[in-house]
Amino acid sequence: MGKKELKVAFLLALRSLQRGGRSSVILTILIVGMCFTNMIFLPAMFNGIGQSITKQVVDYEVGNVLVSPQSGDQYVTDLGATLDLINGMPGVDRATPHYSKGATLKYRQRVLGVSVRAISPNDEKYVSPLYTKMIGGSYLGDGDTGEVIIGKPVAGDASIRQEDEFQPSLGGVRVGDSITIEYGNGYTKDYRVKGIYYTGWSQADSTVYVTWTDMEQVEGKPLDFADYITVKAKPGYSEKFIKDELQQYGVSQKVQTTSDLLSKSLGRALQSFAIINTVSLIVSIIITTVVLFIVITIKTLNSRKQIGILKAIGVDKEVIMHNYGFQVIILAVLGIILGIIIASMLAVYMAYHPIVTPEWSATLYITPMDLVINSLILFVAAIIAGYVPAWQVSREDIQTAMRA
Amino acid sequence: MIEIENLRKTYHMGTVEVKALDGVDLEIEKGEFLGIMGPSGSGKTTLLHMLGLLDLPTSGKIIIDGMDISLLTDYEKTMFRLYKLGYVFQDYALVPDLTVMENVSLPAMLRKDRTEDQYRNDTNDILQKIGLYDRRDHLPRELSGGQQQRVSLARAMVNKPDILFADEPCANLDTENSRIVLDLFREINESVHQTIVMVSHEDWHKDYFHRIVRLRDGKIVSDGINGSKAS
Repeated sequence: MGKKELKVAFLLALRSLQRGGRSSVILTILIVGMCFTNMIFLPAMFNGIGQSITKQVVDYEVGNVLVSPQSGDQYVTDLGATLDLINGMPGVDRATPHYSKGATLKYRQRVLGVSVRAISPNDEKYVSPLYTKMIGGSYLGDGDTGEVIIGKPVAGDASIRQEDEFQPSLGGVRVGDSITIEYGNGYTKDYRVKGIYYTGWSQADSTVYVTWTDMEQVEGKPLDFADYITVKAKPGYSEKFIKDELQQYGVSQKVQTTSDLLSKSLGRALQSFAIINTVSLIVSIIITTVVLFIVITIKTLNSRKQIGILKAIGVDKEVIMHNYGFQVIILAVLGIILGIIIASMLAVYMAYHPIVTPEWSATLYITPMDLVINSLILFVAAIIAGYVPAWQVSREDIQTAMRA
Repeated sequence: MIEIENLRKTYHMGTVEVKALDGVDLEIEKGEFLGIMGPSGSGKTTLLHMLGLLDLPTSGKIIIDGMDISLLTDYEKTMFRLYKLGYVFQDYALVPDLTVMENVSLPAMLRKDRTEDQYRNDTNDILQKIGLYDRRDHLPRELSGGQQQRVSLARAMVNKPDILFADEPCANLDTENSRIVLDLFREINESVHQTIVMVSHEDWHKDYFHRIVRLRDGKIVSDGINGSKAS
C-alpha cells in the first residue's frame, strides 16, 4: 500500500463525508462524542470524590503523615520532645498534636454530644486550612481560654425547627453566645463562642475546637501526651520521604502516610468505584463500536455498486477498505474532539458548581493522561468497528457488488 | 490483440442452468473498433465482462497481448484493469461524491508511473477534448446524461489504455447525445488507434464500427467487416 493509494483512499473518504449525508455524519460524531464523555465522566467523578476525600482528610484530619500511638498504647507520650524531633527534620513544615475528649454541649434547651478537640491554634495553621474557613467570628489564638470555635452544623440554624433538622444541633448559636461543655470526666465549663466555621468535611464540622491550654485545665494537669500528631510536609517532599525519615530518626510511634490510611479505609470504596468505572467504560466502548459498525455497514451496503465500479476501473480492494477506514477514523477523531470539549466544559462548570453532600464535595478530576488513554481506547474500537465491514465488502467480487 | 478461445459462461439459477456464452471463439486486432450486437439476453454484456476482467468464464481462454488472463491473481487483474483497460458503463457509473475532475483523474492518481502534474495535465486535456472543462468542479448529479457519459468516457481514457470496453454507452441517451458520444469514440479510435470493443443493440450504431460480431443465445452468429463504415 503506497502513498498514492492512501491518498486516493483519503480523498474518497473525505469526499464521502463532505458530500454524503451530513445529518448522519453529525449524528455519528455526536454519538462518539457522547460515548467519550460517558467514558470520562464517571471515572472523573469518582476520582473527584476520591481527591476531595483525600484532600479533606489531609486538611482536617491527619495532614500528610500521622504519628499515632503504637498498638497497646493510648497516647503519643513525651509529646514535647517528639514534636521538637519531628519539627526539626528536613521536609517537615510543621507537626501539631490533637487531643480529643467526649463532651456534652448545652445551649438553652438543647443538649448535644460532640467530640471536643484540643489544638495548638498557631501550629494548626501550618497543617490545616481550618482558620480560613471561619464564616463568623474569628479563629482561636494560642493563649485563648474560655473560648471555642464550633462547626456550622453544631451551631445550627434558629430558623429550623428541631424536628426538621437534618442532624442535631444547638439550634442557632451565634458568635459571642455562651455554651456549656460538660466533659466525660465531669469537668464543666461555660465557653464563649469565638467563631463558627464551615469546611464541608462533616467530621471536622461536627467538632468543637478548644486551645491546648484550655484542655490542660479540663485534665487538671499539663498535657504532655496526645491522641496523635499530624505532620505537614514542605512542598516538594513526599509523604513517603517524611515517613521514612521519621522512622529513621527514631520516632518510636506508629507512622503512617495519608495513602497508607486511605488505602485501608477507602480501599473497598475505591474498588467499587473501579468496578463501576470498568462497566461504564465497557458499555461506552460497545456502544461506540456498534454505532460505528452499523454506520459503516450501512454505508458499505449502500455503496456496493460503487465499490464494484471502483474495482472495475482498477481501484484495488485495499484502497476501498482504507477509504472506509479513513471515514471511521475521521468520525472517531471528530467525536473524540467533541467529547474532550464536552468533558472539559463539564469539568469547568463543576469546578464552579461542585456536587456537595454532607460528607464531601466533589468536582470532575480529569488528567491529560485520562484523556489520552480514553481517546486511544475509543480510537482503536472505532478502527475495528470500521474496518471489519469495510474488509467484508471489499472482498466481494465485482459482479456481485455491481448487481447490488 | 485479444484472442478468445471456446469461451463459456454458465449461470445457475436454482436448478436451471443458463448458458450465457456457449463456445465463443474470437480474435480482435489492435486498433479495431469492434461492435458486439445482438438481441437482449444474447450474451453481449457477459462477453464484455469477461474481456474486461470483471467476471470469470466457466471455461475457455482469453489472451490479451499474449497474456492468459485466467492465470492472473486478483491483484494482478486489478492492476491489469488500471494500466491496460478502460471501461465505459451503460449507466455512467460515476462516483457521486466526486467532482467531474476528481472522477476523471481517479484512475490516473493510482498509476505509479504518473506524477501529480502529469495526471492533472492529462485530466485537463481530456476534459477540454470532451468539452466539459468548464464543468470540472461540478458533481455528476449536476450534469445531463450525455455529459455524464462523456465524463465516464474521459475517466476510461485518462490512463490512455490499450483497450477500451463500452457496455451500451448510449442506452440512456437521446439520439443527439448518443451521436456526440459515438463521435468521441470514433475520434479516439482514429487518432490513437485504440482498440475499442462496444456492445450495442441500436442498429444505427453499426455505422461507427469497423467490424460487427453478432451474438445469439451465447453463440456468434455472424462476424464481418462493416461495409458501410462511417466516414
